[in-house]
Amino acid sequence: MSVLGIGLLYGAATLLLMMSGMSIAFALGGVAVIFMYFFMPASSLDTVTQNVYEEMASITLLSIPLFILKGAAIGKSAAGRDLYLALHAWMHRIPGGLGIANVFACGLFAAMAGSSPATCSAIGSAGIPEMRSRGYSGGFAAGIIAAGGTLGILLPPSITMILFAVAAEQSLGRLFLAGIGPGVLLVVLFSLYATWRYRVEYRAAEASHAAGGEKSAYLGQHVYTLREKVEMLPRVLPFVILLIGVMVALYGGYATPSETAGLGAVLALVLIATVYGLWRPSQLSPILVSTLRESTMLMFIIGMSLLYSYVMSYLHISQSAAEWIVGLALSKWLLLTVILLMVLVLGFFLPPVSIILMTAPIILPPLKAAGFDLIWFGVVMTIVMEMGLIHPPVGLNIFVIKNIAPDIPLRDVVWGVMPFVGLMLSAIVLCCFFPAIATAFPDAVMGVSTK
Amino acid sequence: MSHGYDPRPPGTTEPVPGMLGRFGRAMDRLNKALLVPCMLALLAAAGILSYSVFARYFFKIATDWQDEAAVFLLVGATFISGAYVQSQRGHIGIEALAGVLSPTVNRWRLIVVDIASGAFCLFFSWKSWTLFHEAWREGQTTTSSWSPPLWIPYSIMALGMTLVGLQLLLHVLGRIAALREAR
Repeated sequence: MSVLGIGLLYGAATLLLMMSGMSIAFALGGVAVIFMYFFMPASSLDTVTQNVYEEMASITLLSIPLFILKGAAIGKSAAGRDLYLALHAWMHRIPGGLGIANVFACGLFAAMAGSSPATCSAIGSAGIPEMRSRGYSGGFAAGIIAAGGTLGILLPPSITMILFAVAAEQSLGRLFLAGIGPGVLLVVLFSLYATWRYRVEYRAAEASHAAGGEKSAYLGQHVYTLREKVEMLPRVLPFVILLIGVMVALYGGYATPSETAGLGAVLALVLIATVYGLWRPSQLSPILVSTLRESTMLMFIIGMSLLYSYVMSYLHISQSAAEWIVGLALSKWLLLTVILLMVLVLGFFLPPVSIILMTAPIILPPLKAAGFDLIWFGVVMTIVMEMGLIHPPVGLNIFVIKNIAPDIPLRDVVWGVMPFVGLMLSAIVLCCFFPAIATAFPDAVMGVSTK
Repeated sequence: MSHGYDPRPPGTTEPVPGMLGRFGRAMDRLNKALLVPCMLALLAAAGILSYSVFARYFFKIATDWQDEAAVFLLVGATFISGAYVQSQRGHIGIEALAGVLSPTVNRWRLIVVDIASGAFCLFFSWKSWTLFHEAWREGQTTTSSWSPPLWIPYSIMALGMTLVGLQLLLHVLGRIAALREAR
């Protein structure tokens, strides 16, 4: 059978098994094993498990469970609420300051926890009720948290980026740094939008009050004294120090990324023990169990995705597909648009980890040939996958929001997040026109890339 | 994905009578008991990697075994907790068709899916046990200077995948029993 035939069959089999509702990990592994049996030498089936083990036994990949542990430790403590309250106290005088405080809290928390849903639930469970009690509409409040939470896969340490670095054979340290600029850009865009939307909703509330309607909570004011503001700080500082400490360890050359993961997990556990008194085995075991649930599920998908791409490359499917794309001789930006659209559609159904591992061997060679910087592309691809996190039908963050604020109708949540999808899109466009948004920071810290 | 975030607490199922119930409860107990070494492995891996930073910078000790030890621990934690995650239905799939198909078709679909997943896991564990056997017989080690024996991670992987396979078998039997009852 020709490579094209096998390739089409491979795609069809994957689609069938995935849509059957089989676990993503077993579906990918199953497709790989079936094609090994029919199209590869018999001996390859004997080494299938060795193959998976060797691919998985990389300390970079296995730092993922430890990053998740760090995130779970911080996520299960009251750190999210404290961080949010402190930011709110300091920002409440700015118009829309409450919304902005939520965006900032999401960004900072995401950088500590490295996870989108954890950020949503930690900041949202305090932030959404607070915003709504101050008159913010349900959709607006939900949108801020859902979109703010996606910063978790863009700001370091992002699990998605670990996988991209492995798949694209790029420097993880550089990729982490490249996420910061666009992350800050998104925070700024989200904050500007929050201010604008706040004004619109505030004026509507004023108008309806003037017309004899009910006085909206928007019009009430609460003022924090300086003393209250200062008292908020000590609970937040240790976590900010953790954040900075881990970055210094990584970029000061003291620790490898995987050692940073271990160090971060240990420090997070020490901090929640000292600040929140969470140290008993009965308090720690829920943190560890939820870490295992999450990381085992991910590592199974990762292991099987690696097997899947190994088979795809052994059968020359990925190479041929890549050559075919190069052969189309699309213009540079059309190529990028087509690839990003594909990632976007996949993101509606699949978690970012499997998208990266399944598509990297096909899409990276053409992008490289077209002269794109793969670090830059990793960042742009991550923003696209962030859109998948808040876009129906799967949009994981939407479901997290439904869970913490069940009384906001799904319709309002979906319409509330849509403007943020637009903002992400404009961030991507900005990154295309000004690639330095992503690349300037890593170049400044680690020297200009030679790749 | 749900890093550190559980959408719902694990549901308690009604006790199932007979052989199937005993098998189910035994599996449940085993899975929960095995979580303890997995948790300890996570903590140990984090500890070892942190130690390696300090050892290198403060005591100038060469760090040759830490990365590999952490790999073994984390691979172990991943595979040994695999069956627990399966018992919680934590290995996520795409449930896009569930809403389109009729309940009867869905019931059969889930049985077929679980049989296929179980078959894959049992095949994988069979190949892992032969891999383990070979590594044990030939005394294979990793290629690093520390060179620990490879049968350790291989046996853990084999055991873990066997347990996931058994857990899936349990799901299949449970679904078939439910189907019989429904008739």
